[in-house]
Amino acid sequence: MKPKLEVCLGGLTLKNPVTVASGTFGYGEEYARYFDIAELGAVTVKSITLRPRAGNAPPRLVETPAGILNAIGLQNVGIDVYLAEKLAFLRERGATIIANIYGETPDEYCALAERLEHAGGADAIEANLSCPNVHDARAARGPALVAQVPEQVKAYTEAIRAATTLPLIVKLTPNVSDIRAPVLAAQAGGADAVGLINTLMGMAVDPETRRPRLKNIIGGLSGPAIRPVALKMVWDASSALRIPIVGMGGICTAGDAIQFLLCGATAVAVGSMSFRQPDAALRVVQGIADYLARHDLPDVNVLVGAMKP
Amino acid sequence: MSYVLNCEIVSHDQPAPGHFRMGALAGPIARDARPGQFAMLQTCVGFAPFLRRPMSFEQIRGEKATFLYRVEGEGTRALSTMRVGQSLSIQGPLGNGFPIDRTVRRHVIVAGGIGVAPFPGLAETLTRACRKPPEVIIGAATKRHLLCGDIFRDMACDVHLATDDGSVGVHGLASEVLETLTPGPDTRLYACGPMPMMRAVARVAAAAGSECYVSLEAQMACGAGACLGCVVESRLENEGERMVRVCVDGPVFDARVIDWETHDFDYDR
Repeated sequence: MKPKLEVCLGGLTLKNPVTVASGTFGYGEEYARYFDIAELGAVTVKSITLRPRAGNAPPRLVETPAGILNAIGLQNVGIDVYLAEKLAFLRERGATIIANIYGETPDEYCALAERLEHAGGADAIEANLSCPNVHDARAARGPALVAQVPEQVKAYTEAIRAATTLPLIVKLTPNVSDIRAPVLAAQAGGADAVGLINTLMGMAVDPETRRPRLKNIIGGLSGPAIRPVALKMVWDASSALRIPIVGMGGICTAGDAIQFLLCGATAVAVGSMSFRQPDAALRVVQGIADYLARHDLPDVNVLVGAMKP
Repeated sequence: MSYVLNCEIVSHDQPAPGHFRMGALAGPIARDARPGQFAMLQTCVGFAPFLRRPMSFEQIRGEKATFLYRVEGEGTRALSTMRVGQSLSIQGPLGNGFPIDRTVRRHVIVAGGIGVAPFPGLAETLTRACRKPPEVIIGAATKRHLLCGDIFRDMACDVHLATDDGSVGVHGLASEVLETLTPGPDTRLYACGPMPMMRAVARVAAAAGSECYVSLEAQMACGAGACLGCVVESRLENEGERMVRVCVDGPVFDARVIDWETHDFDYDR
């Protein structure tokens, strides 16, 4: 009897618990040449903004020990081009689509969510409240990230919740001292699930040129180096939340993914590892299935929060 | 079509101090590769370093692809320790390759340092397509670092050398040698090397009315167009298109597309 891999994130049913982290998978076309992207639980696309964005000046990327610092700056084609040119490919391939969205204000998030729902452009919305790489005019008054301020997390979530009936995942930042406040705020705001974690803020300097390696000076750290931090945050959040968690941060193998499930995640996202191994996410799906068979477990949901203290 | 394959290393030599040429049996990757394209090579099984490294195809002989590279950091250092018989994971072919047009009357290759790497394959293809070999200018810091001269001479290319220290050839820059060859509107230039060299070649091309294609490099994570890490500023007006990806929109670009003015040259090696 084949183990059951299906999981539910609020109203969204995924055929298996594995998606990809927004920003690491484009709009699916790039990796479709290496494997069938419809075999993933879902494809989470690059953040969509109302207007096309050029993103930050290069260099935008630097490798760090077991990781990457990025300051891409949300370069994307914008919602018009996403709907007109990118969506068809994903639908034709039969992928389940999680549309990550970014706006400067709650109204922008709402406009994006409404348009995506109306146009059939997504099966779920992931609200990116946590990108560290965009210059925010409000930064002068306080923290740069909505996701660092629980009251703002709740306000933004409530607004987006009212704007769409699609399942809503709120993606949060680890750059806080206590993850429980923002996740509870997302839950209170009506989120169907939370995404943990976005990147950790970091930097690197070239000792010869004495300049930062990133033109943006700071960037977001991802990759295996951050996995222990991500895992701990999922663990903290899961004890506080009743809504499900999409766990991400340095997942490279099925074993890594299972750690996140055991700590309380219902689904997982593979991010940076896709750069090194294009079919990494598919291998995680297969590895989870193998694990369940090996341990004689009938259903992946048995693993969620099942860590033995 | 691109593939990720485990390929057997069949040769690995050191043609110059700190410079290596690795040959691997790459099956369909070798079969499909065109001059100017590249592959992402996995330099180790662990995470030190985490990412693959982009390497131009130098030459293809049936199933065997060669990569010519200089040791510069962790990734290339790890690569340089790999042995004949070992398995190398290769992702490719990637990128857009050089445009080949046999109706163009005159073809001149301008290579700077390790930038010579993609040109043996290009020279072969041009020789076949045009029934005559291209002219080749190779510039390097010093005689020891001049690579591939023999390969081009064996193809009967006119080879012009330039060194920064004058140890062989012209004491000066490859772009200065180019000017003495008087390119014109009938000439297509292909340049690969340090960014300042390619900018200089682009200027010579603009003044002479020559076409010019440059092959750029950038720090890459995915090499496949997804991460948007490898962009360079272009002169395209549309905000959504202005930052072009070296890995899929390039690495070969019409030199007029690149925004040489905005580019921060401090970051290039």
